[in-house]
Amino acid sequence: MTITDLTSMGEPQADARAEINDRLKRLQDHASDYCYQCAKCTSGCEAHKLLELEPHKIVALLKRGLITELVNSDVIWTCMTCMKCRERCPQQVAPIEILFAAKNLAVQSGKELPGKYTAMLQSILGTGLLQEVQTVTTAANATMTRDQLGLPPLSVPSDVAKFQASIMAIAMQKP
Amino acid sequence: MRKIGVFICHCGINIAQNVDVDALTDYARTLPSVVVADHYKYMCSDNGARLIKDSIKKHALDIVVIAACSPRMHETFFRDKLTEGGANPYRLEIVNIREQCSWVHKDKPTATEKAKALIRSGVGKAQQDEPLTPSTIPVIPEALVIGAGIAGIQASLDLANDGFKVHLVDHDPSIGGHMAQLDKTFPTLDCAACILTPKMAEVANHKNIELLTYSHVQSVEGSIGNYTVKIQQKPRFVDTTKCTGCGDCAAACRLKNRVPSEFDQGMGNRSAVYMPFPQAVPLKYTIDPTKCLYLSRGKCGDEPLCKKACAQDAIAFDQKEEILERKVGAIVVATGYDLLDPAALYELGYEQHKDVITTLELERLINSSGPTKGEILRPSNQQKPKSVTFILCVGSRDETQCTWCCRIGCMTALKQIYLLQEKLPDIEINLCYQDVRSYGKGYEEFYRKVRGQHTNLFRGRPSEVRQKTDHLTMDIYDTTTNKLYEIQSDLVVLVPAMVPRATAAETARLLRLTLSGDGFFLEAHPKLRPMDTFVAGVFIAGCCQGPKDIQDTVAQASGAASRAATILSKKELEIDPMIAMVDEDACTGCGICVDICPYDARSINEKNRIAEVNSALCTGCGGCVAACPSNASIHKNFTKKQILNQVDDIL
Repeated sequence: MTITDLTSMGEPQADARAEINDRLKRLQDHASDYCYQCAKCTSGCEAHKLLELEPHKIVALLKRGLITELVNSDVIWTCMTCMKCRERCPQQVAPIEILFAAKNLAVQSGKELPGKYTAMLQSILGTGLLQEVQTVTTAANATMTRDQLGLPPLSVPSDVAKFQASIMAIAMQKP
Repeated sequence: MRKIGVFICHCGINIAQNVDVDALTDYARTLPSVVVADHYKYMCSDNGARLIKDSIKKHALDIVVIAACSPRMHETFFRDKLTEGGANPYRLEIVNIREQCSWVHKDKPTATEKAKALIRSGVGKAQQDEPLTPSTIPVIPEALVIGAGIAGIQASLDLANDGFKVHLVDHDPSIGGHMAQLDKTFPTLDCAACILTPKMAEVANHKNIELLTYSHVQSVEGSIGNYTVKIQQKPRFVDTTKCTGCGDCAAACRLKNRVPSEFDQGMGNRSAVYMPFPQAVPLKYTIDPTKCLYLSRGKCGDEPLCKKACAQDAIAFDQKEEILERKVGAIVVATGYDLLDPAALYELGYEQHKDVITTLELERLINSSGPTKGEILRPSNQQKPKSVTFILCVGSRDETQCTWCCRIGCMTALKQIYLLQEKLPDIEINLCYQDVRSYGKGYEEFYRKVRGQHTNLFRGRPSEVRQKTDHLTMDIYDTTTNKLYEIQSDLVVLVPAMVPRATAAETARLLRLTLSGDGFFLEAHPKLRPMDTFVAGVFIAGCCQGPKDIQDTVAQASGAASRAATILSKKELEIDPMIAMVDEDACTGCGICVDICPYDARSINEKNRIAEVNSALCTGCGGCVAACPSNASIHKNFTKKQILNQVDDIL
C-alpha cells in the first residue's frame, strides 16, 4: 500500500524522511508535519520572485517522503537564507532548515554543486568573505565604497593558511 | 369627541437635523381632534415618557400619536406608557419619521412637508382606533419532545427538571439517536456511550418524563399553550411489562445473526427479535414484523422459537398498535438528521466495492461493543487494513448534491484517524480534503495533533475510486504540491454530507413548520431566534435545524427547553388583540379565509356556517382581510376605513 507521484513515478522514502526529520529535530521548533500549507513562506520568499523557489512545496515534498526529488531539485540552491520563512511560520516550521538539510544531502550524495557555489567556497577559503567587497550606487547615481559611507573595513584572516585549515576541519566534522 | 395628543421625537439630531420639529409641532396642533402636540429630544427617555404620561393625564387624552422611529424599536415601550398614563395601550399610532423620512431625505423643507403628511395620515387613522383588551388562554404545563437523540434527551431532562411533565417520543425501539452509535467524541475523546447512557437512564427513571419509544406523532392540533397530539405506538410484539431484556428470545430466533442490524449500519447482524444495542433504553426486546417469519409468513417452523425460549412469556404476537392522545402547552422538535447515501456519487464506488465504507460504518467497527468487538477489519476479507484513505466532503459543498458544509465531517475523520492510529500503530493514513474546518473549542489543537502524527494530507477531491485485485486505488491531484498522486489503500472511508431527515417534510406539514431551502427546519431568525419557529409554542433543537456537532446540539437543546419553559411557566398567555375578527352579519361562509390563512387560524363554524378566528393562532397578517369578498374579515385597529382614511390624508 503506497502513494505514487504519477509525474515522476516517485514513491515515499520513509527512511530518508525519518533521517531528515531526525536531523531537523534540533533545528526546527516544531516538526515539518505540522505544516498546513498556508504558503506564507512562499508569499514572502525573496528567492521565489526571481528564482521560483517555493518553500511550502519543499515542506510538502518532505512530508510526502519524496526525498530524491527534493535533493535533486536545482531550486534548493536558490535560497538566499534570509530566514523570513523560519521567522514568520505560524506553525513554527523552518523551511530554510529543510533546504539546508537537502543541500547537505546533495553534497553527501556527490551531486555537483552549482558553479557559483564553488566560486563562493573558494572566496571564503581565500578571503573569509563570500564575495569581493562591493561598491554601491546611490539614488543620485554616485558610486560609493564602504569607506565613503563611513562603514568600518571588513576584517580578513591574518593567517590565510591557518584559516583555511580551520574551515576544512569544521567542514569535515560529522553533523 | 376624541382627544388626541401628538408627540414628536428629535431622536437627538437624527430627526431634528432634517425635519423642522417646531414647525411640525405647530402643524400637528391644527389637525382634527388634536388637543396637545409637543416635541422632545428623546421620547424614549425617562423624561420623554414622563411628558407623554403627564399629557395623557392633564388633557384626558384617549389616543396618542408618536412621530419617531420605526414601531419595531419602541412600540411595546410606548404602549406601556399609555397604560401608565391611563389610556388604552392599543390606541397608539406610531408615525415613522426617521427611517421613512429624515434618514432618506436630504432637503429639510421637503422632509418636513413629508413628515407633516405622515403625521396627518397617522392622526387620520388614529381617529378610529378602538380600545382593545388582550384575551388570555390557559397553558397546559406539559411538553411534547419529538426525537430522543441527544437533543431531545437534553431538552426533556431540562424541562423535566424544571418541573414540567414531558412526553418524549421516538420512532426507534430505543432512545439515543445517532450519538449512541458513536465510539468516541471529538475533540476530547470522551466515550460517547459513557456520557450518553447516564442521561438515557435518567430519562428512563425521571418521574416527569413519559417515554414513548417505537412511536410516532400522527397529528398535532390546537395552538400555543394547548396542543392536542395523537401518538401512534407501534406494536413491539413483546409485552414490555414482562420482558426483562435477558436476550433468550434473540438467541433462540431462527433468523439469529441473519438480519442486517440498522444500529450497526449493516456492518453486523441481529435476529428478527432484537434490542438495537446492549445499553438500550428501554431495555426491552422488539420483534421486527417485516423480518419475523411468524409475523411476515404466518409460520415459523413448528412454533416460534422465541416464544418457547421466553421464560417470562413476554412474546405477544397479537399486540396491536395503540393511539395515545396527549395535551401539551409547547413542543420541542429534535428529529435529527440523515447521512447522504454516498451511492449518489457512483464514482466513489460505495456499494460497488465492499471496502468503501462511510464514517458511521467505521464508527461501528471502531466501537468495542460493535460487530467486530472493536477490531478494524476490511469488509471484503475480514483482514486488518494496512492503509486507509479518508475522502472528505462526499456530497457536501457540492452544487449537485448538498450545497452546505456538514460541519462535523472534518473532525469526525480526524478523530477516526486518531483512533485508528491508536489501534493499528503502523497504519498508513491518507486524507483527501478541500479545507479542514476545525472551528470549535479545542478542535484546531486536535487537528494539529493529528497532522503531527504523520497523516498524508492531500488537498483535492479524487475523481474516482477503482477496485484492483486486492485493494482500492484512486488518483488525486494535490493542489499543495501541484502533483497527481496515485493512492493505493485497503479501505476507503467516505465522509458523507449531512442531510435533512427523509421525513422532515412530513414532520413540517404536521406541525406547520417552514423548511429552509436546504430542507432543514427554518428558525424564526438565524441569529436572534435560533430555536423559535414561525409557529408559536413550537421550538427546534439539534440537527433538524441544520448540521451541528454534539456541543452545539446540546446548547441548542437547552436553549429550546428554556424557550418552551417560558411558555409553560405561565398559567395563561396574553394574546395580542390586534388580529382578525369576523363581522358575522356580513359573512357568507364562503371559506376563502380558511383557504388563505397560512396559520390555520380560520375555520367555518359548522352550526351557523359563519367563519371564526382562533385568536391563539392568528398572527394578524391581514391575509384574510384582503381576501374576504364580503368585507366580513376585519383586522382590529386596521380596518379598511382606517386604511382608506390614512391614504386620503396622505394624498
